[in-house]
Amino acid sequence: MSEQRLYPGSGQDERTSFAPYSAFDIPADLRTLHGRFDVEAVALRVRNWRYAEEWMMMIMGGWVATIPELPVKTGLGKIIWDSAVAADELGKRLPELRCGSKVGQFGSQPGNEGFAALIQEISSPESPELTIEKLTGIFDVLKPHLVDVYERFCTETDQICDAPTIILLEDITRRSRAHIAWGNTILDELCKDAASEQRRAKRRDELAAMLAECGGVTGEEAVVTH
Amino acid sequence: MKRFIDHDELARDSRFIRQDGAANSVLATLPDDVDTVVDIFEQLAPMIEKATRGTAAEPLYEEYGPAYNLVVLNEPIHPDDPALVNRLRFRLHGILIGELQALEGASRSLWDFPEAPWEFKMNMARQAWDEARHVQIYEKLLQYMGGEIGDYPENTFLFECACSEDPAMRVAGVNRGLEGLACDVFRDLIRYAEKVGDDTIKQAVDFVLADEITHVRFGSNWVKEFTKDDPDYFKRTQEFRREVDKRFSFGGARSARADAAIPLAVQDRLEAGFTAEEIDEIGALSAGGPSRETLREAARILAERHRAKKAQQTQTAAE
Ligand SMILES: [Fe+2]
Ligand SMILES: [Fe+2]
Repeated sequence: MSEQRLYPGSGQDERTSFAPYSAFDIPADLRTLHGRFDVEAVALRVRNWRYAEEWMMMIMGGWVATIPELPVKTGLGKIIWDSAVAADELGKRLPELRCGSKVGQFGSQPGNEGFAALIQEISSPESPELTIEKLTGIFDVLKPHLVDVYERFCTETDQICDAPTIILLEDITRRSRAHIAWGNTILDELCKDAASEQRRAKRRDELAAMLAECGGVTGEEAVVTH
Repeated sequence: MKRFIDHDELARDSRFIRQDGAANSVLATLPDDVDTVVDIFEQLAPMIEKATRGTAAEPLYEEYGPAYNLVVLNEPIHPDDPALVNRLRFRLHGILIGELQALEGASRSLWDFPEAPWEFKMNMARQAWDEARHVQIYEKLLQYMGGEIGDYPENTFLFECACSEDPAMRVAGVNRGLEGLACDVFRDLIRYAEKVGDDTIKQAVDFVLADEITHVRFGSNWVKEFTKDDPDYFKRTQEFRREVDKRFSFGGARSARADAAIPLAVQDRLEAGFTAEEIDEIGALSAGGPSRETLREAARILAERHRAKKAQQTQTAAE
């Protein structure tokens, strides 16, 4: 048996005494390196997502007082907090992606001007009669889009190098799905007659068109219509 | 969506009945003089009566006249009070309304102050969720006592007092004034629940009180942070909080006085970041109102006059 190679200066006694395991003991890691995004590209996306989550939190905060339906007010309270936590977690990821000192606590950045305009449009309904228009923007359009984007990103980014972003998004996605389900239940309840259903559809189509036009949250997404 | 809304823009479903908050503001400025208190309430009587009609507070109005609020606010809730259930529901309903306006105030801070530090937004978002749960909790407690939303009129007094357009003033008013009052009221409710052995009320309110202490702490920290380089600004926010605290003392019903219906929750306030001096000061602020004896006497006269007026109306109608 030939003598095992050692680094210069290290001795036999420093080598680990455990035998190498075989693929029969522990299944091999089949993940491959190299995802679609590099560090900088991930950081930019994190800032775009944070922009969306932060604005959703602020917009829903503005609406609570002007929405007459009590269960909607209280339900939004929880979703405001979840959105704040999502924005916070995304912000904390930025310094890990060499983006912390450059953007400070205000890491949010819109994908492009079109997406910023969409956010302003989503925030525009104000009067108490417009609960349908308010909720449609968030729960029929923006959140489903974000879930699509987050899930696609998780399959496309490097599974080992960028695992912290994946874990983070999996958690946000799980909560967002619960929000969408809640929003749907409320909207279905509010849109039982044809006129209300038409209001919801009109609002959804208008905003979905804007979303497709601007290329979604990052400005580069192929927008799926729900 | 515009920044800053007025109290009359708060949206409500059809169960809620809106009442003018003037009576509550008046309470804060009442002198320790029976005749003046009686005069003021007689002037307010038509407005109070209108807001009470058709609500569960109507029997209280029938019984005590325009000063029913004085009786309800100033007399501690006793297990052997004949109007116990109605008064307890009245108080729970009032708290629920306070929680609702606190939810609206905290949520609104997220929209009204977009440039605020991120940690401030995190605190306000957390408070929005907490207040939303408090609304749900008090709705359940109200139902537990056999009441429903809309049984009593709502006034937007709390939102009016606390929703300043300046962030430091806003947190001073909402998180230290309003939330501090909540600590006093909830501690009192826990004492009542202990007295009658009601663990459902006791445990739920104890959890809520823990949240409120956290909210006061948010306020204590942010007032300091927002005003740290400007002692004059700090003084102005303290001034504003004092003003709010005076109005929230309801003419001494909430105070450090021996005859207070709702005593100051000193230990809870200390834990929430109030200094001992600030607590003494709140005690002194609320000590200036009429004594409980004055209010009792005024309430007795008002109830008597109310009954005499009713008897006369019945007689005229019969003729
Ligand atoms: Fe609360
Ligand atoms: Fe609170």
